[in-house]
Amino acid sequence: MLEKEKLRKADVYSGIVIFLFGAWIVWQASKMPMKDSWGGVQNVWFVSPALFPLFVGAMIMLLGLLLVRTALKTIGLKTFGDTLQWLFSKNLLQFLNTVSILRFYAIAVLFLAFVFLNIPRIDFFLSSVLFLSVFITIFYFDEAALLKKLFFFYLAGTAFFIFYFAVGLDGLLNPLLPFAKDILALGFILGYCLYAWRLIRSSPLLRKKYRTGLIVAVVSPFVVGVIFKYFLLVPMPAEGMVVALLDAIWYFEF
Amino acid sequence: MMIFERIGTYFQMVFHLAADPLNIIVLFCSVLMGIMFGAMPGLTSTLGVALLTALTYGMDTATAMLCLLSIYVGGTYGGSYASILINIPGTAASAATALDGYPLACKGEGGRAIGLTTTASAIGTIISMLFLVSISPLISFFALQFTSFEFFLLAFFGILISGTLTSPDLVIKGWIAGFLGLFLACVGRDLLQFYPRFTFGIPQLDSGVEVVPVLIGAFGIPQIIQVLKDRFQIGETQKFQRILPEFGTIIRNIPRIIRSALIGVGIGSVPGIGEDIAAWAKHPERFGKGEITAVLSTEVANNACVGGAMIPLLNLGIPGSPPAAMLLGALMLHGVTPGPMITFEHPTFIMEVAAILLLASVTMWVVGMLLAKQVVKVLRIPVQLFMPIIGILCIIGSYSLGINIWNLYLMLPVGIISYFLIEMGYPIAPLVIGVILGPMADENLRRALMVSQGSFLPVFTRPVSLVLFLVIVWTVVSQFPSYRNFKDKLMGKIFRRKSRQADIDGEMAEEK
Repeated sequence: MLEKEKLRKADVYSGIVIFLFGAWIVWQASKMPMKDSWGGVQNVWFVSPALFPLFVGAMIMLLGLLLVRTALKTIGLKTFGDTLQWLFSKNLLQFLNTVSILRFYAIAVLFLAFVFLNIPRIDFFLSSVLFLSVFITIFYFDEAALLKKLFFFYLAGTAFFIFYFAVGLDGLLNPLLPFAKDILALGFILGYCLYAWRLIRSSPLLRKKYRTGLIVAVVSPFVVGVIFKYFLLVPMPAEGMVVALLDAIWYFEF
Repeated sequence: MMIFERIGTYFQMVFHLAADPLNIIVLFCSVLMGIMFGAMPGLTSTLGVALLTALTYGMDTATAMLCLLSIYVGGTYGGSYASILINIPGTAASAATALDGYPLACKGEGGRAIGLTTTASAIGTIISMLFLVSISPLISFFALQFTSFEFFLLAFFGILISGTLTSPDLVIKGWIAGFLGLFLACVGRDLLQFYPRFTFGIPQLDSGVEVVPVLIGAFGIPQIIQVLKDRFQIGETQKFQRILPEFGTIIRNIPRIIRSALIGVGIGSVPGIGEDIAAWAKHPERFGKGEITAVLSTEVANNACVGGAMIPLLNLGIPGSPPAAMLLGALMLHGVTPGPMITFEHPTFIMEVAAILLLASVTMWVVGMLLAKQVVKVLRIPVQLFMPIIGILCIIGSYSLGINIWNLYLMLPVGIISYFLIEMGYPIAPLVIGVILGPMADENLRRALMVSQGSFLPVFTRPVSLVLFLVIVWTVVSQFPSYRNFKDKLMGKIFRRKSRQADIDGEMAEEK
């Protein structure tokens, strides 16, 4: 959580956003049937589906306003003006470039790419190994320069996958090469591991962390995935090359 | 006779559960897992229950409850390990334990402190279990007299009080979080007219927002971001020798234990307020000096919260703490709808939960006494290694509940928004309580108004409604500075008048 003074400054903005959000809820709710008919039934205000959202929206608006008022009362209009100036100054860019914020970007991008890009398309085991190997190494090495380099490498790979799926290359390649996207993902994992190794090979401590991190990144998806897939019988979101291989082993053995 | 019959049924249930070797294995594994979740800084019992809910999907209700309640009990206790040995609370619930536990560990009394917290936690859970068994029939009886107005007001009160007591900053923020949760509950087709609200033509939103993925997102993702973004480091673990149960200290402090347990049960039974607050129920003047009785009080109180949180959950369908909110989601997955009807639909369920709590606390004590030295080793695992795995568990857990990838598209944005809210001082518990109680509030408000033909008069004519309404008004009004000023002035006037009267009386006595 932020410090008290910073919190009050942030409260002005969050209060405004919350007020606007409440207004949006009220606006959306006002489109719902209040006194007109829905499904052949004539409405009255007290059974209208709009009643509760209207109440919730109005309360959110009111509380948002109260928050802005409280925050402005505490920091004063002058300080608020200063924060507005800060928002349009170079200091904001400097703040957005700090290591702490870069760490946040890395976590957010990793999760967003994993959930919205990889999981629905690439084999679950491969996408999990990719997610974990990047996630563990960039944070476990605990060096800002390495984090930056490795994160940008991952970002470039993700941009390639977005392009690959967006232009429909997958549809073209798949009939020619089965599991094309999985093979590409595997290639990306190997490329990432080689790049990371090149960066850290001179440091014995980082080499040890690299080995541990990769073992955890490869073993854990298999433990978790096998439990869910074969013991709890949960089909994976995307089943590709590795799931086909595991299926062959599992159903051959048992 | 009724009481003896209930006690008989209860012990029958305990033996029935304990007789199955599979249950014993599940019990030990879950308690151990719970302790590990509690002990590892950055992981909480709520997250443990959330992640394990997906694994219990294929189990029968009794085994699933055994597993989840054991994790809850173990997790609440496990937080004390990190508090005592590295001065970093494993969970928010054990933050108060760190104040006195760590100085004890520095003095070389870490083993003694862990032994005491183990016994105190077991006692706290058992006392709260006794309350659960004895109070539940009464609450159920009263809840059956409730009508829609009372249920609406109760849900509304739950959100407000949760917002008031859990907010780390301004109370308004807690209320905003609660109302944001209520908004999320509005998404989907409404229960009375099946009208699509805030669905924007997306069919996956028609059935509304799934509770469990929202809970996993709201509790799991911000935790991962916070720990990794702020470069959380675990310090050196303090060494400790033998762990003893400390029965002597326990016997000498029976009144303190009872008082702490009562506070714990009381706080646990308030909707949305969990172990985090209950643990602070100790003598403030002795804070932070390595006071063994302070460790005892905090651990009794935070574990007593477990049973306390079960009371409103099982009898009213209102979760008493964040892990209880997760349990509610799990119960719904298993087809059990907590509320006043639970005593009719599942007559032995509350007894079963109480029996599980007893078994879990005994198992926790055994595991704590025998395996503490081994469990402490998990504190050496770097957070950078296990946090990404928690991320994978959050994702596969959310997905596997309903085998729906849409759950992930919901869970992640909720998680990221929750992170920003937490950073800006908004509590997350009221948001979650809002999502859970939203349908109850919405449905009952409209049903009540339908019966009264749009009149709010029954709120003032029905005694329980009136009491709830007045409590809500007081909860809101008491937060405003103008009310506090008015109260201070009024009290000042009363006391001044009293002291003036006393002066006059004194003067008259002197004259006589």
